[in-house]
Amino acid sequence: MNRIVKAISIFLVLIFLVAVAANRQFRIQDSKFKAGANELVIFHAGSLAVPFKQICEEFSALNADVRIVREAAGSRMCARKIADLNRRCDVIASADYTVIDTLLIPEYAEWNIKFASNEMVIVFRRDSRRANHINKNNWYDILLENDVAFGRSDPNADPCGYRAVLTVILAEKFYNRRGLAENILAKDRRYIRPKEVDLLALLEVGELDYIFIYRSVAEQHKLRMILLPDQINLKKAEFADFYKTAHVNVTGKKPGTFITKTGEPIVYGVTIPKNAPNHELALKFLTFLLDADKGGAILKRNGQTLMVPSTTDSFDRLPECLTKYALPVQQGGKG
Amino acid sequence: MRRSAFRTEPLYLVFAALGGLVLLFIIAPLMSMFVNCSLPELAETLRDNEVRSSIWLTLWTSMAATVIFAIAAIPFSYLLARKDFPLKGLVTGIIDLPIVIPHSAAGIALFGVLSRSTLLGRAAEKMGFGFVGTSFGIMAAMAFVSIPYLVNAARDGFLAVDERLEKAALNLGAGPLRVFLTISVPLAWRPILSGLILMWARGMSEFGAVLIIAYRPMITPVLIYERFGAFGLKYARPVAVLFVSVCLVFFIMLRLLAKGEKVAER
Repeated sequence: MNRIVKAISIFLVLIFLVAVAANRQFRIQDSKFKAGANELVIFHAGSLAVPFKQICEEFSALNADVRIVREAAGSRMCARKIADLNRRCDVIASADYTVIDTLLIPEYAEWNIKFASNEMVIVFRRDSRRANHINKNNWYDILLENDVAFGRSDPNADPCGYRAVLTVILAEKFYNRRGLAENILAKDRRYIRPKEVDLLALLEVGELDYIFIYRSVAEQHKLRMILLPDQINLKKAEFADFYKTAHVNVTGKKPGTFITKTGEPIVYGVTIPKNAPNHELALKFLTFLLDADKGGAILKRNGQTLMVPSTTDSFDRLPECLTKYALPVQQGGKG
Repeated sequence: MRRSAFRTEPLYLVFAALGGLVLLFIIAPLMSMFVNCSLPELAETLRDNEVRSSIWLTLWTSMAATVIFAIAAIPFSYLLARKDFPLKGLVTGIIDLPIVIPHSAAGIALFGVLSRSTLLGRAAEKMGFGFVGTSFGIMAAMAFVSIPYLVNAARDGFLAVDERLEKAALNLGAGPLRVFLTISVPLAWRPILSGLILMWARGMSEFGAVLIIAYRPMITPVLIYERFGAFGLKYARPVAVLFVSVCLVFFIMLRLLAKGEKVAER
């Protein structure tokens, strides 16, 4: 009997301790943030992880009572969290503005602002195989060598994945090498990963020698890189017509269906979902992000260029205070 | 009768109610997943080649990992059950390590020894295979997280075997290997089998470590995650239901095989 009493009292003490700890935890959060009233939840593309961390830090420094929660994932995964999981967030920033257009508008969001550009590069380590020989004119031959391993991300999960495919397809045309795209895309399929930043670890441990990735990520991680010609790096608007000649199929809304992605310059998009819990704060954050001297400067330090104002289809539905960061679509000229 | 004891003692009623809550906690989410999944969806998923090959891959890689590592793990657990040696406490602790470390960390740790730039990775490459992004890598990741279940179950099994039987056989002139193979292992086979089943099941359900070593070829837990990311809940759910069903069938079958003795698991 005595032992039972002892066991029960130990158990009760444990419960008491847990309750005290939990209570304390809640009280801390309450007093500081008034039960989440000043919480800002941001879903963003993996490639924005470094600049957004810095932007959020500066934003919090200016707004001391705000608590920011960031979640990085593949851009399509971010949209899925809202559309399928009914997760609520205040800001979603995608590595491809079309992800917002196709997966979120009109049901979960109303508008879309194009805010930053990027370009495709190939990164490597100092001791990558053939690192001393590779350059912008022979990279495709080196990638095809047997003992060289390269990685790219999953075209179905991540914009960087289908952009890598588009770059390779454009390279075949640009360097005039028949069959090049097919050969490169058939090789090293086992190194395809869900998002481009997952590949960095594989590069670091020496499993991979080269990866297709965004220039901004390469600069943030101070990696060696090969800059590709503007005709194939998906950066320049003036080559949009050439980019358009490349197509890739990615999975559609259900397994077995496909949608065709056509090459176009890399443009990041950002929006506030309709059911954002903290709409006011989200607007405040976006005016910070889209300001050339604030968010724009941080993006620049991280290898990305702010590109506001740009045209957007949804200009009419933009919140008043954000209209200066976008342009209405001109008649006849789209995107 | 056990049952009447339950009725007379109110305390046990409370215990039973608490137990019911725990059971509900396990069963309710699974039930809701099954209920939310329509038959046509399931039939369509069943015809999906990608799904079928991934379930098959998951079953056989985990099975292979279990069998390969059993060759070393079973004799080792015998040693743990019978012999005392210095630092034995440390060794048993190390065996349990994979249970407590996060599996994503396990995957990262495995990278350190299996990637192409390491000795092991380079040796494998010379022999014409690799670990990262291959079924060998999947096996390694599965084995890493699941081997404690086998070692612990087998050790407890050997502990339950009467040592006097082994001594008698030794005194009658049988060699230690023969005693091990004809006395100890047959007498402990039920716990060993349930350990094998546990290891196999644990391997099949592994996600974190495998995801890091081998995203492709896709085992089913990874496929479920990928389907969720690329197509949403609606298309991830039938795959999950299908995989859980397949696992349940095998699990129940093998569990029945190993029935009859208290399963020694931790």
